[in-house]
Amino acid sequence: MIRRLLANRRYMREHRWTHAHLSEYVDEELLPDDVARVKAHVGICPHCRRVLATLRRTLDGLRSLREEPTPGVADSVIDRLRHEP
Amino acid sequence: MRPAPAEPEAALVERAQGGDRAAFEELVRRHADHLYSVVLRFVADRGAAEEVTQEAFLRAWRSIGRFEGRSRFFTWLYRIGINEAKRRAARQPPATVVSLDDEPIPEAPDWSEAPETRLRHNDLRRLLEDTIRALPIEYRTPIILRDVEGLTTQEAAEVMDVGEAAFKSRLHRARLAVRRALDEYFLEEEE
Repeated sequence: MIRRLLANRRYMREHRWTHAHLSEYVDEELLPDDVARVKAHVGICPHCRRVLATLRRTLDGLRSLREEPTPGVADSVIDRLRHEP
Repeated sequence: MRPAPAEPEAALVERAQGGDRAAFEELVRRHADHLYSVVLRFVADRGAAEEVTQEAFLRAWRSIGRFEGRSRFFTWLYRIGINEAKRRAARQPPATVVSLDDEPIPEAPDWSEAPETRLRHNDLRRLLEDTIRALPIEYRTPIILRDVEGLTTQEAAEVMDVGEAAFKSRLHRARLAVRRALDEYFLEEEE
């Protein structure tokens, strides 16, 4: 009974920690030990697995919004600068 | 004849600090288009974005003497531009504000395997843009700088003038809020 309670408490601690660090995991900004910690929890937690997979797709969508810079703005800025005292 | 190599940015900044307009105009040519793209994410239209970009460079020119070189020139410039854009955006706040709820919607379908074409659909693109615009401003900025514009964490935190830990925390909450908005989108699409 106590063992199960402790295991449950550890699971929830890892769950909260993983949930809070998924972005850093995706961005490859975690230390190797922390990467292993995320992988271990995601391996046993369907909730975090789903959030991770859909977070990756979200980032794909956000990156697809990136546009080539609009050329021509520099000329209008320079024009205005030249008319300022 | 080979073109002359581009002058290093630090040298241009130093010359501009000495009052050399031509050097500052070269900095404008290097950064204006990118700054405009960033500003456009904060304001309502292209005309306003162009005005804000002009205003940001004017401010930068007037205060370049105070630039101490502790950060890169473009992060300092972006900070000026974003502050200007925020001032402008505050006059026209978004009609709806996205909740920062970070939990998945239990009944939403699993869209992690949705085909690429569905994720790049125009409706979805609009949804992402509207969701970003409806985020509270302190969460909108990290997602625009890091995910849409592709700055590194360090550069984006520098632009926002916050520590990397605080930046990462805001970025994560913003991403989870957008992820949840996509849960809602795919749930509605399924119904």
